[in-house]
Amino acid sequence: MRDVAVLLNAMRDAGVILDYALFGAAAQMRYTEPVATLDADVLIAVPAADRLDLLTPVYAFCAARGFEPDGEAIRVGRWPVQFVPVFSGLTREAVETADTADFDGVPFKVVRAGYLAVIALSVGRAKDFARILALLESDSVTPEDIRDLAARHGLLEAWNRFARRFLHD
Amino acid sequence: MTDASALHARRARWQKSRASLPWPEKIRIAEQLREDVAAMRRTRPQVQRSEKRRESR
Repeated sequence: MRDVAVLLNAMRDAGVILDYALFGAAAQMRYTEPVATLDADVLIAVPAADRLDLLTPVYAFCAARGFEPDGEAIRVGRWPVQFVPVFSGLTREAVETADTADFDGVPFKVVRAGYLAVIALSVGRAKDFARILALLESDSVTPEDIRDLAARHGLLEAWNRFARRFLHD
Repeated sequence: MTDASALHARRARWQKSRASLPWPEKIRIAEQLREDVAAMRRTRPQVQRSEKRRESR
């Protein structure tokens, strides 16, 4: 994962992307116990967000450094990395407000717990709901934090459904 | 509390305690987990869909 951090910082410094932040299960593990995950998901903000081939410069940058595609991802050391361009106000804000963590001496931007929970809420698979519950159990975020952020991004009804199903008897 | 429930309670406490490990350490555990899961999947017997349907009848 250290190699992923080095690559992303270099990509940002070269101007290929404006910014990035790790999200998904690998980011969740900052707050919870370790979980099994297949890949590393990275939100990226790109300079020309209206072009059709958003990921071409990213893939070219990776290829020039010897990192090749692996299905829908780029293999970086032991991790297939999925690059996800920001696709909503929520994901843009998640990148803008991300923490800079230290990964074995390398700065690594990681989405904060509240945004991880609300992004999971917006996706809505069973494993996303499990992710929200794990974040709540870790006390890294409160139900009120999630509700407020969800409401700000048009996800209040999704939160209310989640709360009725999982948080109330 | 029976021996079994004490064991489960201890195990749950131990699992929760891993949440406080440093993040890079947890990522390394996840890397190992992924390889273990992949190894287990490789040893899983392959069952044809038609066989699955027959079995479910």
